[in-house]
Amino acid sequence: MKITKSLVIIMLLIAAALLPVVTEAYFISVAITILTFMTLSISWDMMLRTGQLSFGTAGFFGLGGYTGIIAVADFGVDPLVGIILGGLLAGGVSLLLGMAILRLRGLYFAITTMALASVFMVIIRNLNKLTGGPSGKIVYTTLFNYDSVKVYWLMLGITVGTIVVSEVFQRTRVHFAIDSIRADETVAKSHGVNIYKYLIFVFVVTSIIQGVIGSTYALQYGFVYPESSFSAHYLLLPIAMALVGGIYSTIGPVLGAIILGLSSEYLKLIMPYGHLIIYGVIIVVVVLFLPNGVYGAIKDVTGFRKRRLEER
Amino acid sequence: MSILKLDKVTKRFGGLVAVDNVSMEIQQGEILGLIGPNGAGKTTLTNLISGVHMVSEGKIIFDGIDITFLPAHKRCNLGIARTFQIARPLKNLTVVENIMVGGLFGNGEKLKESKKSALMLCETIGLEEPDQTLDKITVLDIKKIEIARAMATKPKILFLDEVMSGLNMDETREMIDTVRKIRGTGVTICIIEHVMSVIREITERVIVLDRGTILAEGPYSEVSQQHNVITAYLGEDA
Repeated sequence: MKITKSLVIIMLLIAAALLPVVTEAYFISVAITILTFMTLSISWDMMLRTGQLSFGTAGFFGLGGYTGIIAVADFGVDPLVGIILGGLLAGGVSLLLGMAILRLRGLYFAITTMALASVFMVIIRNLNKLTGGPSGKIVYTTLFNYDSVKVYWLMLGITVGTIVVSEVFQRTRVHFAIDSIRADETVAKSHGVNIYKYLIFVFVVTSIIQGVIGSTYALQYGFVYPESSFSAHYLLLPIAMALVGGIYSTIGPVLGAIILGLSSEYLKLIMPYGHLIIYGVIIVVVVLFLPNGVYGAIKDVTGFRKRRLEER
Repeated sequence: MSILKLDKVTKRFGGLVAVDNVSMEIQQGEILGLIGPNGAGKTTLTNLISGVHMVSEGKIIFDGIDITFLPAHKRCNLGIARTFQIARPLKNLTVVENIMVGGLFGNGEKLKESKKSALMLCETIGLEEPDQTLDKITVLDIKKIEIARAMATKPKILFLDEVMSGLNMDETREMIDTVRKIRGTGVTICIIEHVMSVIREITERVIVLDRGTILAEGPYSEVSQQHNVITAYLGEDA
């Protein structure tokens, strides 16, 4: 069982890595977008597992993007270094902010993180010299010089890295800490869990992921612009993907990103106008009829079969 | 030798004084009963000692260390464990995982160690299906999880907040045996209970609380005869 499972994972990885060889440029760009949102979706879910609903995803995504572009444009660093800097800055900012706002809970935390993205945007819009202000900033040395195959492989690497981090969190003591915090904070702290420490740790790790993916995304086009870099798109779509795929797991957001990513592209092709309506309907239907998401439904069905087999 | 000392502890919730200038000591190795009518401040006292609430005034000394301002998780690491009056199992974890939380964070164990010690606790306390999820579990098993999870932190003192309530006679018997077994391992126990037969049977000393103050202190047989204690429970005309 274990061997077949690792075999399947290896096969999937090889298939994903070989994708650019068998497809054309259009599909590679679709795949890059799906991977971007997949990473955001996993990172959002990782924070949700602590019981904290974060709306800061787009904020750290945009912050990472701006850091990457500024590092390359003004300080002349290599785009790959720019990506690392994007992650580090997002991590640093989230550490400072987390120390302040992770004392809040529930709606208060959610609404504060939502405000963060707007605050970042306003600040960046007004730092004209550094960020280009409202008109955005362009850089001519892009990631791998517009070589989308290489960008795809880098994105794939970042996504696999995120999946690994998420799974490590699910299999170590971190899992027990954040699951007990989500279930009951009083019980958690009475049994020795340092709630504050774990919340900050997870918040910083997920923000670093969001910053890295944000700067990678921005540097592949060599372009940032306040309204698009901090767009609610990068917040709402990952959430929808996690809900469709199934929250509190790694596989859920992965499935959700593939399902919604592919269907949105397909819908765009068959009906250029109004495809978003169908897209919305898909999300509503899945959330209504599969409250645990697609992965949750699969688990329920296989669990049910297993139990029936045991009863026989 | 006293393991825990409360010095003039007061807790106010707004205008309500839940615990009023209470000073008491718990001796190493004893089973102490904490009794009193509803609203007397027993659970609040437990919350103050375990760090769920902070005191408004006064000092708490545990094992020679002033823990008055320590957060709950540090008190747990020092050796204070408790169960909750309304049992609070972690519903997203299985039976054994619930107990592992105590070992992992209360006693600093590694994942494998904590699984091993949690499984051992399951066996001692009589939880037969460690891998069960919590959606179809009995009240008795939930109470056992509470105790096992607290025991997994390897405490020096254990507060049991109404673990017998809602159990039938056989289950109560089993629970009393469990409490005795725990005490046998050298853990000091403070038990809050409304079932007086239990208090009579297993405690060596009781403290009676009423409206946030200590009303009486001593062996149950003596305290239960005192006029003011009877009045507190049954009212003036009793």
